[in-house]
Amino acid sequence: MPYAHLDMTYTQKHRAAWVVLPNTYFDPKKGHELYNRYLDELELVAETGFDGISVNEHHQNAYGLMPSPVVMAAALSRRTKNAKIAILGNAFCLREHPLTLAEEHAMIDCITGGRLISGMVRGIGAEYYSLGVNPTISHARFQEAHDLVVQAWTRPGPFAFEGKHYHFEYVNVWPRPYQQPHPPIWAPSTGSTETIEWAAHPSRKYVYLQAYSPIVSVARYLNYYRECAQRMYGYTASSDQIGWSTPVYVSDTDQKARDEAKAHIEVLFNKLLRLPFEMIFPPGYLSMKSLKNMRSHKRSVSGQEHTVDTLIEQGIMVCGSPDTVRKQFMDTHRTLGFQNLLCLMQFGTLPRDLTEKNIRLFAREVLPALQGLTDKEYGGMEVRAAE
Amino acid sequence: LTELFAAEDTVGKRRTAPVKQSTIEVRGCRLNVRRAGKGEPLLFLHGAQGLNGREPGLEALTESCDVIAPDHPGFGRSADSELIDDAGDLAFFYLDLLNVMEIDRVHLVGQCIGGWVALEMAVRTTERIASLVLVNSAGIRVKGVPRADMFVCSQDELMKMLFAGQGADEWLASWRATPDMEDIYDRNRAAAAKYSWSPRLFNPKLERWLHRVDVPTHIIWGEDDRVIPPAYATALKGLIAGATVTMLPSSAHLPHIEQPQAFASEVARFIRSAAR
Repeated sequence: MPYAHLDMTYTQKHRAAWVVLPNTYFDPKKGHELYNRYLDELELVAETGFDGISVNEHHQNAYGLMPSPVVMAAALSRRTKNAKIAILGNAFCLREHPLTLAEEHAMIDCITGGRLISGMVRGIGAEYYSLGVNPTISHARFQEAHDLVVQAWTRPGPFAFEGKHYHFEYVNVWPRPYQQPHPPIWAPSTGSTETIEWAAHPSRKYVYLQAYSPIVSVARYLNYYRECAQRMYGYTASSDQIGWSTPVYVSDTDQKARDEAKAHIEVLFNKLLRLPFEMIFPPGYLSMKSLKNMRSHKRSVSGQEHTVDTLIEQGIMVCGSPDTVRKQFMDTHRTLGFQNLLCLMQFGTLPRDLTEKNIRLFAREVLPALQGLTDKEYGGMEVRAAE
Repeated sequence: LTELFAAEDTVGKRRTAPVKQSTIEVRGCRLNVRRAGKGEPLLFLHGAQGLNGREPGLEALTESCDVIAPDHPGFGRSADSELIDDAGDLAFFYLDLLNVMEIDRVHLVGQCIGGWVALEMAVRTTERIASLVLVNSAGIRVKGVPRADMFVCSQDELMKMLFAGQGADEWLASWRATPDMEDIYDRNRAAAAKYSWSPRLFNPKLERWLHRVDVPTHIIWGEDDRVIPPAYATALKGLIAGATVTMLPSSAHLPHIEQPQAFASEVARFIRSAAR
């Protein structure tokens, strides 16, 4: 949900579109139009047969205008009838009172009659500057906030919660969620081994969703989830525990798709996702092990100038004719096995007409083939090894 | 952490006074402590950047003092401790260290976060504290005085914050000397964030108890510091009875590295005057 009207020459004066970019760049009148346009587009997605629509949380930036995805989910609750509403995610651990979010999620679940998917995230590093939460305890707080919220949704209240980071005398959330025991919980991430191991645990088996990554990284992390399940926990993960999130653009031909998406996707990666290393990974946000991994695998999402061609080549975005895009997703499912696919149908400065065209064409030409895919079409470890 | 403890410290060999490096266990936490020099015991509490064994200001102090310089828990080659979340916990921890080391009387010298810890110790008890030296010290907040953020900036910007002159390249090179040192650099940044992230570099309650600091106190400040600007030296002087201030020119946040002779002679002079 980008602030598409951003003056892109901001880069001459400011080092990031996050944390330090003055909010004077935001024009509330243009914001009014954008919010309503984006809500229209999400409603169109619901009408054209997608299984769900998704919103997420980021603070103090021009990349995404959703510090509170709950507000957007609430707006969509009454305007959609069948689609799942996926909050992917909310950073419960950024709150001093995660129970306010637990209450709001339960409200949306009740209003929609159980259409909520509840994503739980740590928030990216920039969030820890913007909201002042200590990044060195973010994993611990993330896990504890999760425990608190799940207990609040499932244990009869009132009860006392006695944690290290959270202490409450009266946990007694009204309303209780519509779905029992609680809405499905997903764990979206850009690839933290700690989060993958946590999500794959047999007591959780949460959908792990890999976002914004070159396809080699997507493969590495999704396979790591399956390996964790097998080697650490002794069970076989099924494809419905696995998810992938990527920008998608379809048009009549491969070349036309590239031409139409080019300027808009390049703005997303080169301007709106402009985040220096120190901002995306504040000290202690990653374990020492993950930090070393990150340094050695030099991330290719931010920190390099992208073109539509490099984004397609690296599999960071999926772009082309309906045939190309359909084939690419079906092939990737065969090797990686993901039954959850989040398509970013609007990105950067992609205007209303192209976004709508993208949604409709994808819904008509690509979506039906993907909706039929199951674990059976996943080739498993052997296929991966052979390729 | 075993590899950190097992790693050989070659840095001590270039010193004039032999540096004894040992592990002291306090409350179950294995603390790495460097010690050198002859004279009255001086406990140096380092700042957010930690110690890399090339602190010429400390080396100069070994001529007149028995300098004891631990890596704080979570920094350098010291272990992490689950007991320690903030500067107040570090204060109790170092009061326990004095017990363990059987030191009855010590001169405290703290820079940045270390100065904050020294103040937290002194408001708890000054029973064993002979004197206090605060060097570009954290711990309080002076409203309306902007501070540069050591965490959000790039490394280049950080070097410009820490040094007034040209010392940054050499200092940074010493952290890049070995993979082990590079790891410690990252580890120190994380430990500094753990203790000082929010509220950034201060305890809102500390200021209201600083009247309890009843030992001779001297404030030394690199006058080009933007991380904790000189207005903080003035504010601390006003909060601590009898405190004196020396501003050091051509120095920013790390006077013990950038102006080692001036730093050491100021500390030594003050400690002589504070001696009973």
